[in-house]
Amino acid sequence: MKYVKYLSVVLGTVVAVSCTKLEEVQRDSINFQKASATGLLQGAYNSLGGLQTQDVVWALMEHSSDEALGPTRGPDWDDNGVWRVVHNHQWDADHNIVRNSFNSLLTAQFSATAVLEQSPTNSEAAQARFIRALSMFLVLDLYDQVPYREDLKDLKQLPETLKGVAAADKIISELNAVISTLPDASANTWVANKDAARALLMKTYLNKGVYANRAVPTFAAADMNQVITLADQILGNSRYALADNFFTNFAPNNNSASKELLFTLENTVGVRGGNNRFNWFCTLHYNQRPSGWNGFTTLADFYDKFEAADTRRGGSYPGLTNVTGLRTGFLEGQQFDQNGVALKDRKGNNLAFTRTVALKETGNNLEITGIRVIKYVPDFSQGIDGNAENEYVILRLADVMLMKAEALMRTGQEPAARAILNTLRAKRGASTLTSAITLQTVLDERGREMYWEGWRRNDQIRFGTFLNGVGPTRPNKSGNERLLFPIPNQQLAVNSNLTQNPGY
Amino acid sequence: MTPKRLLPALFITLLLALQTFAQQRTITGRVTDNTGAPVAGATVTVKGTNIATSTGSDGTYRLNVPESAGTLVISAVGYGNMDAAITGSTVDVGLATSQSNLNEVVVVGYGTARKRDLTGSVASVKAKDFNQGVFASPDNLIQGKVAGVQVINNTGAPGGASTIRIRGISSIRSGNAPLIVVDGVPLSGGSTQPGLDNALGTTPGDNPLNFLNPADIASMDILKDASATAIYGSRGANGVIVVTTKKGSAGAPKVEFSTQLGTSNILRQIKVLDAAGYRAALKEYNLTSGDYGGNVNAMNEILRTGFTQNYNLAVTGGNDNGRYRLSAGYMNQEGIVLESGFKKITVGLTSSFRFTESRRVGLDVNVLFGNTLTNSAPIGNNSGFQGSLIGNALQWNPTHPLRKPNDSIWINNQLGATTINPLALLAAYDDRTNLNNIIASISPSYKILNNLEYRMLYAINYSQSERRSSMRNWLNFTGNLGSAQIGNNRAVNQTITHTLNYTPQLTNNIRMDAVVGYEYLRYDFKGSGMGSNRFFDYPQLDYTDYMQNAPANDRFIYSFAPPLSELQSLFARATFNFGDRFVLTGTIRRDGSSKFGANNKYGIFPSVAGAWNIMNEDFLKGSKNISNLKLRASWGQTGNQEFPSGVAQRRVNIGVLDNTSVANFENPDVKWETNTMVNVGLDLGLFANRLTITADWFSRKTTDPLFAATPVAPAPSSGVIWQNLDASIVNSGFEFSLNYALIRNANLTWNIGGNIAFLKNEVRDLNGSYQTGGLHGQGISGATSQLIAAGQPLNVYYLRKFEGIDKTSGQSIYADNEKLFYSGSPNPTRIYGITTDMTWKRMFASANFNGAAGHYLYNNTANSVINVGNLGTRNISAAIPGTGENLSNAIAPSTRYLEKGDYLKLANMTIGYRVGDFGKAFRNVTVTLTGQNLFVITKFTGFDPEVNVDKNVNGIPSAGIEYIPYPTARTILLGLTFGL
Repeated sequence: MKYVKYLSVVLGTVVAVSCTKLEEVQRDSINFQKASATGLLQGAYNSLGGLQTQDVVWALMEHSSDEALGPTRGPDWDDNGVWRVVHNHQWDADHNIVRNSFNSLLTAQFSATAVLEQSPTNSEAAQARFIRALSMFLVLDLYDQVPYREDLKDLKQLPETLKGVAAADKIISELNAVISTLPDASANTWVANKDAARALLMKTYLNKGVYANRAVPTFAAADMNQVITLADQILGNSRYALADNFFTNFAPNNNSASKELLFTLENTVGVRGGNNRFNWFCTLHYNQRPSGWNGFTTLADFYDKFEAADTRRGGSYPGLTNVTGLRTGFLEGQQFDQNGVALKDRKGNNLAFTRTVALKETGNNLEITGIRVIKYVPDFSQGIDGNAENEYVILRLADVMLMKAEALMRTGQEPAARAILNTLRAKRGASTLTSAITLQTVLDERGREMYWEGWRRNDQIRFGTFLNGVGPTRPNKSGNERLLFPIPNQQLAVNSNLTQNPGY
Repeated sequence: MTPKRLLPALFITLLLALQTFAQQRTITGRVTDNTGAPVAGATVTVKGTNIATSTGSDGTYRLNVPESAGTLVISAVGYGNMDAAITGSTVDVGLATSQSNLNEVVVVGYGTARKRDLTGSVASVKAKDFNQGVFASPDNLIQGKVAGVQVINNTGAPGGASTIRIRGISSIRSGNAPLIVVDGVPLSGGSTQPGLDNALGTTPGDNPLNFLNPADIASMDILKDASATAIYGSRGANGVIVVTTKKGSAGAPKVEFSTQLGTSNILRQIKVLDAAGYRAALKEYNLTSGDYGGNVNAMNEILRTGFTQNYNLAVTGGNDNGRYRLSAGYMNQEGIVLESGFKKITVGLTSSFRFTESRRVGLDVNVLFGNTLTNSAPIGNNSGFQGSLIGNALQWNPTHPLRKPNDSIWINNQLGATTINPLALLAAYDDRTNLNNIIASISPSYKILNNLEYRMLYAINYSQSERRSSMRNWLNFTGNLGSAQIGNNRAVNQTITHTLNYTPQLTNNIRMDAVVGYEYLRYDFKGSGMGSNRFFDYPQLDYTDYMQNAPANDRFIYSFAPPLSELQSLFARATFNFGDRFVLTGTIRRDGSSKFGANNKYGIFPSVAGAWNIMNEDFLKGSKNISNLKLRASWGQTGNQEFPSGVAQRRVNIGVLDNTSVANFENPDVKWETNTMVNVGLDLGLFANRLTITADWFSRKTTDPLFAATPVAPAPSSGVIWQNLDASIVNSGFEFSLNYALIRNANLTWNIGGNIAFLKNEVRDLNGSYQTGGLHGQGISGATSQLIAAGQPLNVYYLRKFEGIDKTSGQSIYADNEKLFYSGSPNPTRIYGITTDMTWKRMFASANFNGAAGHYLYNNTANSVINVGNLGTRNISAAIPGTGENLSNAIAPSTRYLEKGDYLKLANMTIGYRVGDFGKAFRNVTVTLTGQNLFVITKFTGFDPEVNVDKNVNGIPSAGIEYIPYPTARTILLGLTFGL
């Protein structure tokens, strides 16, 4: 019976060894309690990546406006109609981009709040609160309702909802609370800084009247004066100057070469990066270099707002045009390669981009319709099709100047406003404005300066032109409900503190 | 020595070793079952001695016995023992009594049961009933064999993944694959093949069962209802497949050898235009460009006749104190797509020993090793507008030569910068996975009393895999600068099981069969990988061999290690048999899992079942026609816990240096989802069981379904929180199977069998809806085709309703301004199989059909790969010319591409001839001719209606979508089997 003894020993050992408390131990990730604020802050900056890609916030801000659309080109770009409905203001609360933008922006808020939970330094806390304010501002602007968590202690508790002016006031108080603690503006423009916070404050004050009543906004003089004061604080900093070449602001070396940048998203290969290539991939034809997706275009009416001499309309760019034949700015008409040979489309047509474009292209020329836009200079340092190191620009000097001009206009100071526009226009090669300007002039100037930078919808709503038709691709005026995007149904289903926006 | 050379050498050595057998009196004979079919592997023992042998695949045996021997004892897995008197030199034995079928032993969880004691719904498929042919993985052996069990080969790729569904699908997000248990060792369900995302998208996975050699499998038992599966607790919800490998039988060492050699070709083509048709279409559309003067069929250029070879060798032997079976297998299957293929080497040892005089102490040692080498074709599940190999071939303009006049591949062709020449893709792409999997187990046992046995099982399943893939830099794929990736994964899974089996006769009339046990499982998975995305091309070198060639910024590395997953369980089962009239079974299991949230660490899974053997009631005893009648009923609960580890906690992911982000919301309440199943069944045997019928009705309700739900924003970037939803999924169905021995006489037998299951599936009380069924290709980025929504079947299609092509504009017309409608289900409402086999003297033949009906398949290939807009540059579907469709008609998902999925497939057919003994050395020589996938009857226009390309969206599985998959092959095999 000695086997029995052996067996019972083995059995006893095995049972003793194998009993477990079933505790789960992390191996390639860490528990939240062990995470550092410094690391989480880097993560919070990364969480803004949803701003620099074609199918999240940028699409809502641009495709719904008068300066961009994504036509369906026969077999290409139907994508279940997602692009068409943003342009013709037919989106609903199940729309992918509407949903993804909401979630993506609020992830930035979550990531920033996570920093505050883990004993940050004063500077880290201030940076996190800036990121959170930026996220809140964009959610407020797009959806009017901002789900907000002060902390992350009890995630089962539903977040409170900040609405309209109350949300704007919260953003203002947050930014005012951190300005003095934020780092000074530095060579690393992707680090939240005092001037970035000031510029975001300006945006909030400027739009506060919109958040009170989007259909008929009124602008309080006090708010406008805040915009002017903040602008002067930024303009007084000698590190800023308008770029000699407009496209330097968007070139691969923009962080070092441009003196206009207040706040950017960093793109450094191997360290941190987003999908900034989308800026050229989304618009270039397949047979161009780099080979694009043959997608988005601008509208002829918008293109016609430029004077011929305006350098912002585009031209050749060293290191780009001589390498691939591609030019910056607006691409209309025949396109060439670097040797001046005319390019063709896949059907054998001349690759000559047309002024006219329909929301649903059906003709034999469907690959070449629409004027294309190259605002960012493609980065070839990682190869023609490689990753891009251009920093993605969120806030910059010209925007600050134009916001100040707008605030001056709204407080009856037309000459001062015109002077700012003329300073800018002179630098950009546009003619001097000699007669009195209107608010429309300011909006147009913002268009010429800020096109495809992700602000057009915001500007158009403030100037009251957002609901207007834009020609054949959206002939009719839209209803007031289109001033807001709907709360995504998916979030409505899980968060009873949200209510659907009127009209959806 | 290469495996090819090693095997014959081994074979000859064994042959010589076995020639030394003492000669006495020789008895020969044949063992058959109640249908007259041969019983392979039956043990024939001289009563009262250790002299034994076992039967070959044709049921015949040869045994040298002492002159004094008077009786043989014949035993076989699944049959009772039978004595046969030695009356001459030939003793044929029919295990053909009606009782033998009921004494058949069926493998159930943690033990076996006599078929007559079964209360649950269990189907057992023995080796002799397996599908015939060469299979990479054993799940194909039972395809179409069991009512309610659906096995789909997701694509035709050799070694590719399959979809196994028992009684439909019940889970939104937690997996619908059954638990597979191999000789008592539960598998983790996953393969260690590293996933691969590259320019083609996500490449399809391989089959996690590839490491098993189908020739080593003795039986597969499918546990369908909760009475049978509740003993597997939190992993039993999707049913359980218990795989039992072949074991040695007593007697002198015996050798079994089999080989199959054959060729494969494409089963069915997708119809695109040929050069003449293309020119006609250009004319029809008044296109002046697009004719490049050539005449090619690109699909045929990437296909070949694949050569398949398969060798299996097994040595068995032993005596009363120990038995063994040693096996080796080599399989080499060339894919029908050039360059692709699958090779497998398996070695298996199963052994069983009895110690001490009383033989109370036993020891089983099993080792199964498999090495597979998969050479994958360049195919992606979700390839973008530049497609992957099959798409490129279908799209290739049939008038544009694939090669230049100097015979080099025309890479930068005239069809536009983004059109990929399929031959160039084949030449530029390489993707090989080398996977090793070993299951080793040791299982000591001790018979404490005659009716009380303790058994321990320790098993380790070690799987390691390396995948190397590359794409040459000269291929004109957008963004391609040359790329290479190496991925390594390894899994170490351990099982410890203790069981105590007690089988007392409680009273004269009441017999009990009870088992209690403890089990501990530990799954440890880790992986790493690296990649380079830019190369200088040294044509003679493989990119994966000089990855440092890429500049530092174009390289990446990663490693990962999810938390260890542990499972700790107690379980018990008791069966009471009341005079063979009533049988009552109860099971219970308590499972704790490290994955569950702190508030729900342990779950309890009970079941009860009863059976009434009406046959044994007085009023039926002696019935002429009715030979078996049994009524069964069961109720039970099982769980499903296939969600990722780590989701119950608030975790932080690590980026570059001190750069972290919160990965997910914690959920301390997360737990298994619960399946509650009711089953009522009837077993009927007529005319001495010449006709047997089994019918089952079941209903299962899944509650607390696990879901990666939308968390309340603001939320972490992964955007999910794993939780148990308030919804339920209800599956119900009716299963029916029938076997009939049409003809049964000495020279001729003919059996026919069929099974069918009617299935219904509905999601209930789900708040909100979730998209899945992602569609891909040009023009439909981000589009989805299916929904998970209340009141609908899982994965219901949600599409625009196509109402034809507008005669004047040539554009598609959709109902209600492009509104989306619920448009049918991808889940079959009927799945069925038909089998038949026949013997005539020494000839035999069998055929197996399977199919499904009542469901729809989405043809993503027709939607976005061979659409009208290609005309003028690339190829289009042959169905388009003459429809008046305008070239610019948008690629939009709609019911236009929804096709009826009904099919019937002749999965395999075999004819064979038993040559008998050949000379003195070769026994039981048998030759066979087998055809696999001989034909399929369907209206579906893709390669094969048996298809399931993985089109999940955020991890929610899709169903029934076809997208440029690896085409299915038709294979013809010549087989030879003999023993020594």
